[in-house]
Amino acid sequence: MTMITARHLQKEFKTPVVREGRFSGLRTLFSREYLSKEAVRDISFDIGKGEFVGYIGPNGAGKSTTIKMLTGILHPTSGEVLLGGMNPHQERRRTVGRLGVVFGQRSQLWWDLPVKDSYDILAEMYGVCAEDKTKRLAQFAELLDLESFWATPVRKLSLGQRMRADLAASMLHDPELLFLDEPTIGLDVNAKRNIRQFLRTLNEEFGKTILLTTHDMDDIEQLCSRVMVINHGQLTYDGSIPSLRDTIGLPTIIRVTYRGSFHIPDVISSAIRITGVEGQIVTVEVNRKEWSTMDILKQLEQWGEIEDVEMKEPDFEDIIHRVY
Amino acid sequence: MKTTSWFTLYKMLIRTSIRSRMQYKFNFIMASVLAALIQISEFLMVALVLHKFGAIKGWSLHEIGYLFAIMTLSKTLYRTFGNEVHHLEKYLVGGELDQLLTRPMPVLLALLPQNFRIMAGEVLQGGFILCWSLAGMMHSGQIGWTVIPFSLLVILTGAIILFSIGLVTATLGFWTTRIEELQTITEDAARTAAQYPLTLYPKWMSGILLTVIPVGFVNYVPSLYLLRGELGAWVLGAIVVVAVLSLAASLRFWKFGLTKYQSTGS
Repeated sequence: MTMITARHLQKEFKTPVVREGRFSGLRTLFSREYLSKEAVRDISFDIGKGEFVGYIGPNGAGKSTTIKMLTGILHPTSGEVLLGGMNPHQERRRTVGRLGVVFGQRSQLWWDLPVKDSYDILAEMYGVCAEDKTKRLAQFAELLDLESFWATPVRKLSLGQRMRADLAASMLHDPELLFLDEPTIGLDVNAKRNIRQFLRTLNEEFGKTILLTTHDMDDIEQLCSRVMVINHGQLTYDGSIPSLRDTIGLPTIIRVTYRGSFHIPDVISSAIRITGVEGQIVTVEVNRKEWSTMDILKQLEQWGEIEDVEMKEPDFEDIIHRVY
Repeated sequence: MKTTSWFTLYKMLIRTSIRSRMQYKFNFIMASVLAALIQISEFLMVALVLHKFGAIKGWSLHEIGYLFAIMTLSKTLYRTFGNEVHHLEKYLVGGELDQLLTRPMPVLLALLPQNFRIMAGEVLQGGFILCWSLAGMMHSGQIGWTVIPFSLLVILTGAIILFSIGLVTATLGFWTTRIEELQTITEDAARTAAQYPLTLYPKWMSGILLTVIPVGFVNYVPSLYLLRGELGAWVLGAIVVVAVLSLAASLRFWKFGLTKYQSTGS
């Protein structure tokens, strides 16, 4: 079953050129000059029920714009969005009533009130009955350890606590679909782990469909079954993480320490590229897509007697760097 | 959702807003005192003008007091419930409208109770001048007691008209983001102008105040009938129609404006 359908999504921002001087606001209003910027260009995808999708791209690539279009906040210049068969732009209220949305940069809780009060208001807003509310909150309190700051005003929470409280708030009405815009931004290692664990539970045990944007590649690697990469407003990759590794084909780095003398032949296999020789240590880059590790090692053995081998797989961070 | 549950939710959000405000008691008290001081100085200004000129173009002191009081009370009613419309710029610049758009309720219903204002100073000041004007005119036999309930109706329709003007102005912010200067003209200047009889102004200006920015219908037009017996009883129907039409038009424009919301980068 498809939970999210995006068809030829396009968003162009038109901002009037701001005039200087007196009455600038008024003159801007009647100005015909516009600066236009294509933030999202022709993006289409389908996300099925139970998928955990990471949506990544450099700053300003159009990630937030896409999420805001998907959640009905922004209206696309053209194209269509369907969430569980409903259009968030034509039936905003009905559609968003079935979504959970978390913006890491912003809280949806009531700033000056105790955390628990926000849940009371949200329950009323989403029409969650008292019984369901109590049951779900008890569950979230356990998974996210909310109890310790239950009665604290939101403005006094630490960033990690606030994020946990916000996540619980977004799930209070038990939506099938969850949009998370940078939920781990600025958090420490512990808080990140806690939140990832919660998201994994939501996805694996409760079968929730989740779309997540992040700059933390560990989030993607540990949680997502699928990655979509956006750059300059266009989807540049859509697939699984292993196949993303393959597509990029970053080389594996092997450091070999030889015992005694060794000799590098003049002609070596094209699969191996020597990047450095330092005393007894030779560093080579190999493409493991073309050659198996055993074959490579056999080759290296012919150069001399090997004392130690150290292999380094390409970092996911490096892969992403390559895609950007 | 049923209308009754919208109302329950609305009440809940207003209570929340008041409770949030009370977290900063000192600020709340200071703001109230300052607002009262501003109101008193504004009243002194008007009193001074009235004292100096006595009557303006055939309008007596009491009549002008009535115009002023109705405008103050209508504005107070509008700002008590609809203050956030006047402060939409804050939401546009900061992108805070994002949150409200993800809630399964009409955006205005989520926006308005964000900041419920208790404007005791304005109510007292406006109420005092209204009572004084009405008492004066009743004493001289110019008007009967029926003007009292009609005045309440006029305050209500006036608040709706002012709200509509405020909403249209705010909606323009979806295109311009900044709206403060525009508000100075459509809300503050227009309202201040209508505190005096429109006959004071050149034709083109009173024309604008009765059409493009219909503040004339808040106090001036109903006063013509209620206080001076001009025009006819149909005036009361007319102001209701103007109020309803303005509200409907502004709500439509608001809905259209929402589709042009640009949010902010993050």
